[in-house]
Formats: sequence, structure tokens, C-alpha cells
Amino acid sequence: MASNEEGALWSILGYLISGLLIWGGIGYGLDRWLNPHHHWFMLVGFLLGMGASIYLVWLRFGRE
Amino acid sequence: MFVSAVAGPGFVPPSTNDFNLPPVFGNSAYSTKPVLLVFLSIILISIFFIAASRKAAIVPGKLQFVGESIYAFVRKDLAEEIIGHGFLQFVPFLFTLFTFVLVNNVFGIIPFLQFPAMSHVSFPYVLAGFSYFIFHAIGIKKQGIGKYLKGIAFLPGVPKFAYILLTPIEIATYFLIRPVTLSLRLFANMFAGHLLLLVFIGGGNYMLHDSHLFMKILSPFSFGFGIAMTFFEFMVQCLQAYIITLLSALFIAGALVDEH
Repeated sequence: MASNEEGALWSILGYLISGLLIWGGIGYGLDRWLNPHHHWFMLVGFLLGMGASIYLVWLRFGRE
Repeated sequence: MFVSAVAGPGFVPPSTNDFNLPPVFGNSAYSTKPVLLVFLSIILISIFFIAASRKAAIVPGKLQFVGESIYAFVRKDLAEEIIGHGFLQFVPFLFTLFTFVLVNNVFGIIPFLQFPAMSHVSFPYVLAGFSYFIFHAIGIKKQGIGKYLKGIAFLPGVPKFAYILLTPIEIATYFLIRPVTLSLRLFANMFAGHLLLLVFIGGGNYMLHDSHLFMKILSPFSFGFGIAMTFFEFMVQCLQAYIITLLSALFIAGALVDEH
């Protein structure tokens, strides 16, 4: 059981990183494309990605 | 590097240059120290386990006992506990991965060898590539490609609109983040560990050869830290070998489970 918990830990870390990277990256791309002088989309993307990945972690590991 | 640090005007801190070792013989990139160490590790592992299993007895000798303990650890504590049903076919891969990474990591603190090959990122990349290929192949074979990809991209029991947010994250996690976390963690730990030892032991060496008496007196502290860090490194090296095997087993287990 201990190793399964350790596994969950690493999976959660993976989800949090990829949530930030993907949505932050999409926001960054939108910024570059639409208004290169601001970073609003990236900020929104980071927050969105953070929220979505925490939601995903809850779905995967918190529901039972 | 140490010679230049002593002869030069000041301390030259260790850098990534210390990882780009010149070829041991000839002029080929295939005769550098990490490559030779990897070959040495394969030879040593083979000799050890052939010797340990050649005269298999009911009452094991010392060598057989050590060999069987390592095998039992990978088989029972990693493969069987995590993968569960049908774990046996993955034991050879996990066992090879564990012993290979363990021996190569521990090479980092063995006198005269003293270089962890895994501090060159291409070695962990290849190992992670094997895991990556195996767990995706298993998933596709077990569930069929459509069902497997659907299981990754669409988590059941989630409102439809949430898929817009969640699906990119799931896909990125499975196809981009997993191999990266698998390989970079091993690489970064070995790289940082080797650098740490270089700092303390190289620094101690520099202080010992410095002209000020004060520096000479203080140099044992640096060496002492180097020795303490060597023990710490041994722990990290074993742990990282365990973790890369554990994660590979977990990914395989995840690919085998249907509801994913």
C-alpha cells in the first residue's frame, strides 16, 4: 500500500505540472498572437490550468 | 580541473564542463568514461548474477543469498505488489532496469570510477523511452488502441464541458510529462549529486593548497562535508534506482487496468 501512495504522489505532481504547462502555454501562445505586450492570457491560462489540474486530481484520487 | 584550480589565480567552481569528459582512448565519443562505465556495469551485473545463480542450492550461500534478495525485492515489493495479476512477465524488465540504474548510480561514489553515467541526460532518456514504449504498448495491446486512448483522454463521470479543460491535461500527462518526469528526476539527482561532491572535495583540495594557513586549517571541514555528502549520495543513488523502477511499474499497472 505504501508504494501505491507514493505512486499517487508522483501522479499528482505530474498532473499539476502538465495542467500549468498546457494551459499556461496556450495562454502564452494567445498572448504572442493577439497582444505581444501583455500577459493576461498567460495569467488566466495558469490559473485555469491550476484549477483544472486540482479538479483532475480530485477526480482521480479524491472521489472514493 | 583541480590542477588548474590550484595553479590558477582563484578557485574555479565545478561546472557542466566537468561532465564533458574527453575520450579515454582514441578520438570517438563512444570511448568516453560514461559509456565505458555503462559497459562495465553490464559486465559486472552479468558476472554477479550468473555467479549467484549458477550453483543454486536449497540452502543458499552468501552470494546466492544477496542475488536472490535483490531479485525478490524487485519481484515481490515492486512487481507483485504494484502490478498484481500478470506481473510475472514484467519482472525481467523491472529487474534489469533496477540493477542497471542502481549499479550505474553507485559508480558515482566508487573510488576511481566516481562518475554516475545517469548524470548525462541521454542515458535516462533511453531508459524512460523503454518504459514509455512498454506501458503504452501494453495498454494498446490489452485494451485496443481506441479504448486505451479514450480511457486516457476522457475520464468517466465528469460533466461534458469539463473535458475541454481536462482532456489536454490528461493527454499531456500521459504522453509528455510522464517520460520527462521519469528521466529528468533521475538525471537531475545524479547531476546535482556529482556536482555537490565536486564542490566539497574540489573546494577542500583548493583550500588545502592555498597559501593562507587559515584556509589550510579549515580545509578538513570541506573534506568532512564531502565524506558526509558521499554517504548521503549513496542513499540518493539507491533511492533513485528504486523510484524509476517503481514509477515504471506504476505506469505499466495503470495501462493494464481497464477503467483508466
